[in-house]
Amino acid sequence: MFKYNVKLALKSMRRNVILTALMVAAIAVGIGISMTTMTMYYMMNGNPIPAKSDVLFAITLDSWNPIRPFDDDRPERAPHQLTYHDAERLLALGEGKRQTAMFESSLIIEPVDEGEMPFETGARVATADFFSMFNVPFIYGSGWDRATDAAAEPVVVLTRQLNERLFGGRDSVGERLIMQGTYFQVAGVIDTWEPTPRFFDPINGGFHEINEMFIPYSLALSLELQSTGSDWGWKNEDITSFEQWLNSESSWVQYFVELETPRDRDAYVSHLDAYVGEQKRLGRFERPMNNNVYDVMEWMEYHEVVSNDSKVLVGLSFLFLTVCLLSTIALLLTKFIGKTSETSLRRALGASRKVIFNQQIVEVSVIGFAGGLVGLLLAGLGLKGIQYLYEAPNGLVTLDWVMVSSAIGLAIASSMIAGLYPAWRVCKIPPAAQLKTQ
Amino acid sequence: MGIGPMLSALMRNKTGPALVALQIAVTLAIVINSLFIILQRVEKMNRDTGIDVNNVIITYVRGFGDDFDTIASINNDLDLIRNIPGVVATTVSNHVPLSGSGSGTGLRTVPDETIEAVSTARYRWTEDGLDALGITLTSGRNFYPEEINDILPESSEGSQPFVLVTQDLADSLFPEEDALGKTVYWGSMDPATIIGIIGRMHGSWVNWDKLGNVVIQPGKPAYTSNKYITRVEPGLRDELMPIIEQKLGESNRRRVINSNRSLEELADRSYRRDRGMAIILSIVITLLIGLTALVVVGLSSFHVTQRRKQIGTRRALGAKRIDIIKQFMLENWIITTAGAALGVVLTIGVAYWLEVSFELERLDWRFLPAGIVTLWVLSSLAVFEPARRAAAVPPAVATRSV
Repeated sequence: MFKYNVKLALKSMRRNVILTALMVAAIAVGIGISMTTMTMYYMMNGNPIPAKSDVLFAITLDSWNPIRPFDDDRPERAPHQLTYHDAERLLALGEGKRQTAMFESSLIIEPVDEGEMPFETGARVATADFFSMFNVPFIYGSGWDRATDAAAEPVVVLTRQLNERLFGGRDSVGERLIMQGTYFQVAGVIDTWEPTPRFFDPINGGFHEINEMFIPYSLALSLELQSTGSDWGWKNEDITSFEQWLNSESSWVQYFVELETPRDRDAYVSHLDAYVGEQKRLGRFERPMNNNVYDVMEWMEYHEVVSNDSKVLVGLSFLFLTVCLLSTIALLLTKFIGKTSETSLRRALGASRKVIFNQQIVEVSVIGFAGGLVGLLLAGLGLKGIQYLYEAPNGLVTLDWVMVSSAIGLAIASSMIAGLYPAWRVCKIPPAAQLKTQ
Repeated sequence: MGIGPMLSALMRNKTGPALVALQIAVTLAIVINSLFIILQRVEKMNRDTGIDVNNVIITYVRGFGDDFDTIASINNDLDLIRNIPGVVATTVSNHVPLSGSGSGTGLRTVPDETIEAVSTARYRWTEDGLDALGITLTSGRNFYPEEINDILPESSEGSQPFVLVTQDLADSLFPEEDALGKTVYWGSMDPATIIGIIGRMHGSWVNWDKLGNVVIQPGKPAYTSNKYITRVEPGLRDELMPIIEQKLGESNRRRVINSNRSLEELADRSYRRDRGMAIILSIVITLLIGLTALVVVGLSSFHVTQRRKQIGTRRALGAKRIDIIKQFMLENWIITTAGAALGVVLTIGVAYWLEVSFELERLDWRFLPAGIVTLWVLSSLAVFEPARRAAAVPPAVATRSV
């Protein structure tokens, strides 16, 4: 029966090609646009590290100006980065299961041979725990250990791309490269790793590419590494040396901690409060106690990683889909009116209302499926366009199977909703009425 | 035929027309709100920056090695660039306007920390800075060459206590009086005298509501990374960019040229979200208007075919062709107007939602009448061809059976 219905549907679709084409086009455009904007939103809003998003926490401490808050519009907020001094102390206390202080920097990779050209490379300066905390996958070697951090040994972990550029993609563990006049030993090469959004640093951009290499945080002091990320200051301090800069009230270090249970979280906040209490006695932290830990999704929310524009686009595109559905309903109604005599005839020959109804629903599903397929193509195009417009890194906006199946599902479901009323109207056509006038 | 019989005809089969009216209403709501957003973004992108954006080249360089002499390198580089034929002026600056990366500070008119400071972007460049960006002073003077110090990252010696400010910043600091010659105070409470006022100049962050607030100090920033701003004769930019890169590359192998781009490209990148939004919305409304128009044309053509007999009867009873055209146009007009009326309500609803939830600006009411008039014109155009075909139905059709 189903096959027969599909056959009838195709036949009926062919009979009025223009109306059918319009319906397919309406659904396709509606699905295409709403899937494009939904995918964009879904990527921005997605959980970048589902396995650990509730055990990883970003830390803020309110070390800001006693006279005014860090953010005048949101006075309850502490600065979103720590001072170097505080990050050092928290690392030394080491109260979490794992922790990392980190910032972005850039170093020049100097040529080993005369013929090669030096080039600047972006680095994430972090502790040994970074790799295990954030589940970073390795192709060769591994991260470094805590002893390396303690000894401030110059080691480096490369991304796949940088390893490709420097060593042609081979296992480069143990190789050396020169940066800042220092020999760095390659400890490992990470596999493609693209958490989206880049949850560990929404401050310098939630959708930037991952930094090209990773080096130990303890090198910041010995190599006098400058942050290329954002830094915020409020205090007038005479800074004439790197050491003074490290000890200043400028906040430029990001801090993440891994805590396994809600109890650990509470305990950690008490540790923070105890630390800040101690600092208060030394004359720092003159603002009211305001220490916070944010889990990954809270941290994304805090930084409004999902842009308002993308939410507006999702809203408008669903209105667009409504227009497409209204068009489809109107077109279907019109089409069914044109089929009155045929339906009368089928009814007179014994087809029940249910059979007629089913046949109509099959017909709109076929239209919906076709519209969904074309819509997917359009969404694919739309995403390519968005990637181009926003210069997004490759692979940031792609249709995955969730989006593909929801596109087809949405297309069929919405066309069926659109088809319900017209199908019901068609069922009500009495068997003989139309035949009489013939 | 008057409007009465037509209304009763519409009412007899109301689902179809109601659907079309509803579709028109939602279309209107999307199109008007999107157009409003598009125009706002376009306006934002086309603001006067005060800078000769199209003729400026930005070069980022960085030296390496312990023996690298930053100051000597900067002086050599600037001389080298300045001597390339076609170059108007060049400077070294701590930051690049419109690039998204910059430094900000707060200024006060009295040395009192408890008073809220006026936020502003801060630049530091040489006496050639204004010329290198094509910025004009409206009053006062530029820096003198002898006021330019070398500013090392770790030296206590700072800039001379003179600053240039934009008119926007001057107005925020001294709303009542002329700012020229007045003293302002940095966060450190060190004073500086305003020696010149710039009519207009945009700072680094294009999405900041105080984009026009800029203060400039004299100095030659000699940091790890150096940024050169170079203005060239109109039309020579693309030709000179590779020449600058090549000459700098040849002159010193201990220095990496990280990027050499036009300021236009950097500014475009800063505005890419706005441009992206405007382009996406333009595509959306084009598709939407196209779809709605096609549906209106398709439906009315279908109805004409359906009603051939009725039209034939009217013609046989003496209705002229123009009467038939009028009938279809009027019918369409009623549906469109009903849709427009509902559409106005929807448009305002969507505009309210955008304003409250996303802090977008309030919809300009003039978009509504403009939208309705456009709608009338478009829908009349869409229905004209089917109506003309209806009018072509010969009276004799009425006498034939199906």
